[in-house]
Amino acid sequence: MSASRHELHTLAGPYALDAVSDADRAGFATHLSECEQCREDVREMREAAARLGLAASVMPRPDLREQTLRAAFASAQLAPVVPAAAPSPPGLLAEKDLVSEAQNSPGSPADTSAPEPGAAAASGVTGWQRLRGRAGAMRPPARISLAAAAVLAAVAAVLGGVTSSALRQLDRSKQQDHLIAAVLSAPDRVMVTAPVMTGGTATLIMSHQAGAAVFTAHGLVALPSTEGYEIWLMGPTGDRAAGMVTPQAGGMAGPEVVRGLRPGDMVGVTVEPARGASHPTSVLVVVFKPRP
Amino acid sequence: MTEEDGRKDCEGLAPATAATAAVPRLDDLISAVALGDERAYEALYDRSCGWVLGTVRRVLRDPAQAEEVMQEVLLEIWRSASRFDPAQGSAVAWVMTIAHRRAVDRVRSERSHATREQRAATAVIDYDDVTEAVQASLDRERVRRCLGSLTELQRECVGLAYYSGYTYREVAELLSLPPGTVKTRMRDGLIRLRDCLGVA
Repeated sequence: MSASRHELHTLAGPYALDAVSDADRAGFATHLSECEQCREDVREMREAAARLGLAASVMPRPDLREQTLRAAFASAQLAPVVPAAAPSPPGLLAEKDLVSEAQNSPGSPADTSAPEPGAAAASGVTGWQRLRGRAGAMRPPARISLAAAAVLAAVAAVLGGVTSSALRQLDRSKQQDHLIAAVLSAPDRVMVTAPVMTGGTATLIMSHQAGAAVFTAHGLVALPSTEGYEIWLMGPTGDRAAGMVTPQAGGMAGPEVVRGLRPGDMVGVTVEPARGASHPTSVLVVVFKPRP
Repeated sequence: MTEEDGRKDCEGLAPATAATAAVPRLDDLISAVALGDERAYEALYDRSCGWVLGTVRRVLRDPAQAEEVMQEVLLEIWRSASRFDPAQGSAVAWVMTIAHRRAVDRVRSERSHATREQRAATAVIDYDDVTEAVQASLDRERVRRCLGSLTELQRECVGLAYYSGYTYREVAELLSLPPGTVKTRMRDGLIRLRDCLGVA
């Protein structure tokens, strides 16, 4: 262990320069969480490396400004990281609630307004599930688009509870509300639930018409503050980062809007450094695959 | 946010100019952005877009791709502003780390199609350009001078990694050196650079 530990120490320089393979990066990121000296080393070296970048500054075309601002303001922001807390009773209750609800309505009719296109199947035990009776929230478009707030409440109900901080976070971005509404009201929406390898259950509601999906989870394992769950769109043209989710009390996470969904995309989740990665660097803990 | 003339322009360099009373600190801007403050984000864009584009373009070399990645980076800054932790480094380093990481990821996926020979050839050109890239302003001059205080090997290792996006193993191959040597040179080079620049 100490030999490999020494090996890891020597990666600080390459790591600060991003001169490591994805595998090395993942290994070192884990090491960093338990090596204070390494964190300090990396911090200092990154300050120096940043100046190499500053020295190369060039002005972008002026028209990129408007374009970039518009794209940003239309994008959801990640919730602040809440200091890690032990799962609290409310969270557990919410989770239990969801389970018992599911058990109480095993035969509840599937939402007939949700078609079953060849859209998605979850790898894993649970597999493909259609929207159940509890999803009274899945209403036709006209009703769903009435009020973003109602949609949010509906989402909360469907997904078995959302923390109030998550709701406040959602409240901040009208665009996100609209997108959630668009996904929930899209005729081609499908909902998939799958177990998360490391613990917990993830749910994805996706719509190719809306070009987006809504991700939520409960019972997720808490991660060290240096790590987070990152959502990926994985398609024929490569992997795209689609947002970080941070479990709150009881391992609740989301709803997180996954934008830019394209036909053929899989949606997966990996554990990454808290600031996110640009490509998945660890195993997928859950993946929703398009149906062949 | 405060009124700023020339809002449409990016600052070229020097986070030090942010010390002017009327200009908010980069940290504060990021904190405001984390709360969804659009004006703060505009100011942050103006402050950092030149840094981001410059870094990304050094690595990617393709201007169109660089613009695309610059936008991705600034989007990521908007999205993940709440994750900025001053305890883990300066705001400048946070922004630049995101920018560099994205650029490197992109250039590597582009390169995965290229042959080893082509990569080696590109690397030499890349590195020759590095010194040109850092010669415009006083700050550039300072960085250039500090790069000059590195040994040639340190400078090559740091430059090939930072400006060309190679992993230390690739740098080792390009320079025909043992990977362990390259790792050490990168570290030593960065530490010397840090001391020379007086950062951290």
